[in-house]
Amino acid sequence: MDNTAIYSGVARTDKARILVVDDDREIAMAVEKLLAREGFDVIKAYDGMQALEALAANQVHLILLDIMMPKLDGLSATMKIRESRNIPIIIISAKSEDSDKILGLSMGADDYVTKPFNPLELVARVKSQLRRYMHLGDIANGQKSSVLRTGGLCLDTDAKQLTVDGEPVKLTAKEYKILELLMSKPGVVFSAEQIYEAVWKEVPYSVENTVMVHIRRIREKIEINPKEPKYLKVVWGIGYKIEKI
Amino acid sequence: MVTRLRRFSTNSVTKVAAFILTVLILTGLAEMALYIYFRDMDLQRIFTDDYFDSREFADLMGKAAAEAGEALLSGELPGNVPYHYYISDGSKELTNVENPDRSFFEQFEPAFCALENGQWHLKSKSSFPYSSRYTFKLSVSEVLKKSNTIYIAYPKEYTKAQEQEWTQGRAVVIRLVTAAAVGAILAVILAIYLAAVTGRKPDDRELHPGRIDSVYSDILIAVLCFLALAWYLLAFSAFETGPYDRGVLTAYHKGTLAVFGIITLSVTALCGMIVLALIRKIKAGTLIKHSLIYKFLYRIYDYAVSLFDGRAFSKYPLTRSLFYRQLIFIILSFVFVFLTFVFMLAGSLAFIIPPVLEAVVIYWYVKGNNRTYMDINRGFNESLEEQMKSERMKVALITNVSHDLKTPLTSIISYIDLLSKEDLPESARDYVRILGEKAGRLNNMVSDLFDLAKSTSGSMPVDIDKLDLKKLIEQTLADMGDRIENSGLVFRVRLPENPMLIFADGKKLYRVFQNVIDNALKYSLQGTRVYISLEETEGMAVATVKNTAGYEMDFTAEEILQRFARGDKSRTSEGSGLGLSIAESFTRLCGGRFRVDIDGDLFKVTVSFNIAQ
Repeated sequence: MDNTAIYSGVARTDKARILVVDDDREIAMAVEKLLAREGFDVIKAYDGMQALEALAANQVHLILLDIMMPKLDGLSATMKIRESRNIPIIIISAKSEDSDKILGLSMGADDYVTKPFNPLELVARVKSQLRRYMHLGDIANGQKSSVLRTGGLCLDTDAKQLTVDGEPVKLTAKEYKILELLMSKPGVVFSAEQIYEAVWKEVPYSVENTVMVHIRRIREKIEINPKEPKYLKVVWGIGYKIEKI
Repeated sequence: MVTRLRRFSTNSVTKVAAFILTVLILTGLAEMALYIYFRDMDLQRIFTDDYFDSREFADLMGKAAAEAGEALLSGELPGNVPYHYYISDGSKELTNVENPDRSFFEQFEPAFCALENGQWHLKSKSSFPYSSRYTFKLSVSEVLKKSNTIYIAYPKEYTKAQEQEWTQGRAVVIRLVTAAAVGAILAVILAIYLAAVTGRKPDDRELHPGRIDSVYSDILIAVLCFLALAWYLLAFSAFETGPYDRGVLTAYHKGTLAVFGIITLSVTALCGMIVLALIRKIKAGTLIKHSLIYKFLYRIYDYAVSLFDGRAFSKYPLTRSLFYRQLIFIILSFVFVFLTFVFMLAGSLAFIIPPVLEAVVIYWYVKGNNRTYMDINRGFNESLEEQMKSERMKVALITNVSHDLKTPLTSIISYIDLLSKEDLPESARDYVRILGEKAGRLNNMVSDLFDLAKSTSGSMPVDIDKLDLKKLIEQTLADMGDRIENSGLVFRVRLPENPMLIFADGKKLYRVFQNVIDNALKYSLQGTRVYISLEETEGMAVATVKNTAGYEMDFTAEEILQRFARGDKSRTSEGSGLGLSIAESFTRLCGGRFRVDIDGDLFKVTVSFNIAQ
């Protein structure tokens, strides 16, 4: 794949080049500074057309893209980019509806950050996307049956090892078992009783709190923003699930 | 003087007295009439001052003459009779006097009568024979033979006694009749007086309606007629059932008089009141208008008029044409059906014409109606579209304003973050920290505000699913576990054993309980308990959160749900102040009920949902 070829030039994520696209110059500059502080190389563009031009002229490893922009909006730009490129795209938008997020992700974006964003969270998401991008090769090579994979989550059931965007994460035995159960069927909702029975191997009685507390801990370990989880979701009044990505 | 008279005449005591007097007089008159009838007092006596001209005297003579006639035919004497007689058929003679000479009898004039040459002769002025009781016997042809002769005369002593009795009776009758006349005149005067003053009061010149004036005039009149008729029938039977033996009052008569009197008294009183009410109505000019018949007719008239002057259709202008068309259609159809029958009965072939015309009318009717319906439809669609448009504009406004607020906020937050990483003096570092906190709070407020705006404008999508409310509360509590543990409050949670299934949007309902528990955490008195319970009541899943406020709640339950209302007036703590409003709005969005109760320091939130079947 040519993507791996492009990326082979970059040994470390913090040397990556990032294209920031926003019609609000102050925001673009703020994002540039935030990322530059982390050691990234940043190029700016102020509308969709400029973004495409900058992309053609430079070697870019990640794009931060606003939606509402003149000339060519972010969603159209995403579609255009996806026609030829596979680099990570993070949408940054003031549109915060679930439907907006779903639309953006289905257009080919890898992540969706709503304005106003937490600067730390933005940086974390950028890093996470870059790490995943870097490990894409591994994923493509090692399609082992013992590995459960959802988005950036990767659970090796042989090694009992979890990686998030390539970063290893330490789990307790119970946390691991819960995650293994949920990741075995992504998108399927498990009730607290089912989880308790499968993990604790005891008759479940008043277990909602126990399970929920574990879920919360797992979320703190694997999610960038535990309040708006990407992978491990609570289905309120029903149960828990791992999002199918 | 005039005012004093007026005061007296319109005084209610005077009026009541006059009314009672009138009723008593009228009853007395009726009783008198019945009494006179029972005593068989001939009113003719008033106009006849001579006994020998009276009906009674004529009857006396007639009776004697009839008895004489009978004796003439049978040849037997009448026996012991109070009069002198001479009866002869030409051959045989019957008499009770020694010298049966005409001149002997004539000396008893005017108590004398004679039958000579087939002719009755009578000297008195009385139109003999008066009573029909005797007429037949007197005019039998055998009696009226020319050969027959009868002389009859009452002795002076006898007629004298009769005359005396008659004169006494006449005096009684005259007294009674005079009293009746005076009474009647008095009653008329009183009635006129009552009619004049009824409805008036001494203090003003207004017309005061009485108690029964609120009854419709025609009902009053009907009652009046009924009473009068009933009384008349009663009086009729009282007169009719009087015994034959008149002139003497038996216990039965007295009883009849008493009953008749009481009934007459009540009927007169009732009728009097009704008549006065009617008079008051006439004075007020409401006699006709305040009647059922008038009301009924007016209603019909008014409806008929409203159909034509457009009032009936003022709210629905389009249905006016529908109505007229319908009216014309019905009338024409009737006419055509009628004409068809007429032509058919006449055996004319022309009966085909009306149905053809009817078909034309039906076509016109349907066509016209369709046009009207189309107009109505168009109007309806237009208003619907208008509404949709304004709704869309509202949503668009919210979205745009939201975007316009969030964009500068993004810059602010980002630059604050950049600034905090700069090498700044200690005081400036503090300022930046404050800026960061406030920017974060502003961010929360903006997003809460738009959540609320969207949920109340109905532009928020809801994802309704069957879920377990018990589980949701447990999850929410566990999710907020850290904050609850650090709050210093004790949570007493009482949830049912079994699942409590409801239909709701889980994410929204999580926000509801999150906000409610958050509210309890923020505003509870340190060290107090927060009670959370869930139970089934009358088919509803009812969740309650109760906490003790840490400050005086000088607001009502309604006020706290108002936008931006905050328990503490100082508004210093974090949060948008929209938490409970959002909770309420989201609960409603999910189809539940949200209620806040404040009782002293007790703050209670109740969220209830229908239990899913």
